[in-house]
Amino acid sequence: MSADAAVTVAQRYARGAVVAAVVIAACWHLGFDLPSLVSQWTVYRWPVLAAVAWTVYTVIGLVGAMMLLRGPGSAALARVLAVCTLLVAIAVLVSTPGAATHSPANWATGSVGWLLVLTLWRCRPRELLATQAVNALLMLAAMAAESALDRMSFARYLMVIFGAVTLQLGYSISTHSFDAAARWAAANSAARASAMALQAATEAAALTRAERYRAVRRDSVAVLSDLADGADPADSAVRRSASASAARLRRLMAETDDVPAPLLHEMRACADIAERRGALVSLSVIGVLPVPPVAVRRALTDPAVEALSGARTAARLTVVGTDCSVIVSVVADSPDVVAASSHPDVLFTTHREGGRLWIETRWHGR
Amino acid sequence: MDRDALARPVTVAIIDDHPVAIEGVRSWIDRDPRQRATLIASGPSVQAVLAGPGRDADVLVLDLELGDEMIIDQVGELCGSGYRVVVYSNHDEREIVLAVIDAGARYVAKHESGDHCMSVILAAAADEPYVTPTEAGALLADDRPQRPHLSEQERTALLLWFQSMSKASVASRMGISEATVKQYIGRVRVKYTKIGRPVPTKTALLARAIEDGLLRADEVGDYRSRAV
Repeated sequence: MSADAAVTVAQRYARGAVVAAVVIAACWHLGFDLPSLVSQWTVYRWPVLAAVAWTVYTVIGLVGAMMLLRGPGSAALARVLAVCTLLVAIAVLVSTPGAATHSPANWATGSVGWLLVLTLWRCRPRELLATQAVNALLMLAAMAAESALDRMSFARYLMVIFGAVTLQLGYSISTHSFDAAARWAAANSAARASAMALQAATEAAALTRAERYRAVRRDSVAVLSDLADGADPADSAVRRSASASAARLRRLMAETDDVPAPLLHEMRACADIAERRGALVSLSVIGVLPVPPVAVRRALTDPAVEALSGARTAARLTVVGTDCSVIVSVVADSPDVVAASSHPDVLFTTHREGGRLWIETRWHGR
Repeated sequence: MDRDALARPVTVAIIDDHPVAIEGVRSWIDRDPRQRATLIASGPSVQAVLAGPGRDADVLVLDLELGDEMIIDQVGELCGSGYRVVVYSNHDEREIVLAVIDAGARYVAKHESGDHCMSVILAAAADEPYVTPTEAGALLADDRPQRPHLSEQERTALLLWFQSMSKASVASRMGISEATVKQYIGRVRVKYTKIGRPVPTKTALLARAIEDGLLRADEVGDYRSRAV
């Protein structure tokens, strides 16, 4: 799984948990709170206050849900909503007569917890615990105010509070844990994908390096062995092969440079070696040069390297390009080159005329 | 220029803001064993040279960059006024070379040898359809819609001329005579001369081409570019 895909999965999972919390709160509010409000209408001291509290609860739920589903939201707004939620609980407790505190008329004590879970979704867990505790104490305070703290009432109180709070806290903690697990898995998966990409890049780089090393060996070992075996550096043939080898080494280094026209860059590297030997090299380039693969570029430049290496005084190097073809030519006062096309798509021709050698390589891309 | 006038040396005026370039061309002209040309004026600006004896020169050798200014626009004006202009410049970009050719002037790059420079001066004076290797490169790379159609042989001759800078080499490589190579390359120049705005130098070149049998009189004006 790619890093992006893993992050998307984690985000979708988190969103799913939020949607589930909204659905639970909405179902509870419509399926339990509303019937309780309607059926207990005559029980309330101030039924309108209870109805207002129910409506405010609905508004807080909608605002909280939108805040969570539309983006990161703000912690300040979340806390304001949580305080308003506690005010809803107070309003319902105040409207409910003491004898009815344990009846469905006081629907808020058990229900506001879902709203707190929702509004404080992205706040620290202790904020949820604190508001839940305040909610529990509010009912206890109401019971105390009505002098209804007998054993039976207290037992029912505990049942209401634990029944609601364990469900709400349980849901919040478990979904947040799953969310954290999903994020961890996503991060892990992203790290793995990145490690695999790095490994592939390293392997590719190592392969290219090995290939370049083989090319260096192919070119240089023969020259160095000849020199070690006592070849005379003053011999023109030895100097020429050493020069060609040096040009190929330069080309090899130029191949890894990141340049817009690699073929030209490599040709310049080859021409440079001939110039250092004192030959006057003119390079003319016309047209748009395509970027053929390295193997083709080598086949195009190999005979040119040979011809340039043999140039005694002067060489003219030309490169003619079109969108999909390249013609490389060297005219120089060189001895004949021992070269052949090293690529099936590269055509090599050579022509001698007096002291001048003319070589040409052509490539037509497909 | 009348052909008989070639019996006398071609008069040349050089407009270049670098004295070393003027001296270089002067030495090439002086070194010619047949003394076919003579330098009669030189100066750093078009006005300075045309104000003196330079205005009567057979050929104006013109640097494209005088001071910090590119004077490519003036090439067309000079050709329109009947001057035979050889642009001698470092700016050998295809667009510039093609613009010079379209204007009716000749182009020789400063990196080309004295032989090429002399050849193009003499060819310009005689209205011959000569093409310098740098011009050959630009013509090969011409991909404008209005470019004339070149035959396979003409393209090959142009390419080999660009590569080798020696017509003898091109002839040897193509297995044809040097005269035929000149004919192929000359025909390309004639084709380019027929397109664009007519100026006296172009008319003179076409007249010379008809005289030399490179072009039939009825072929002038019937040219259709590839774009049509």
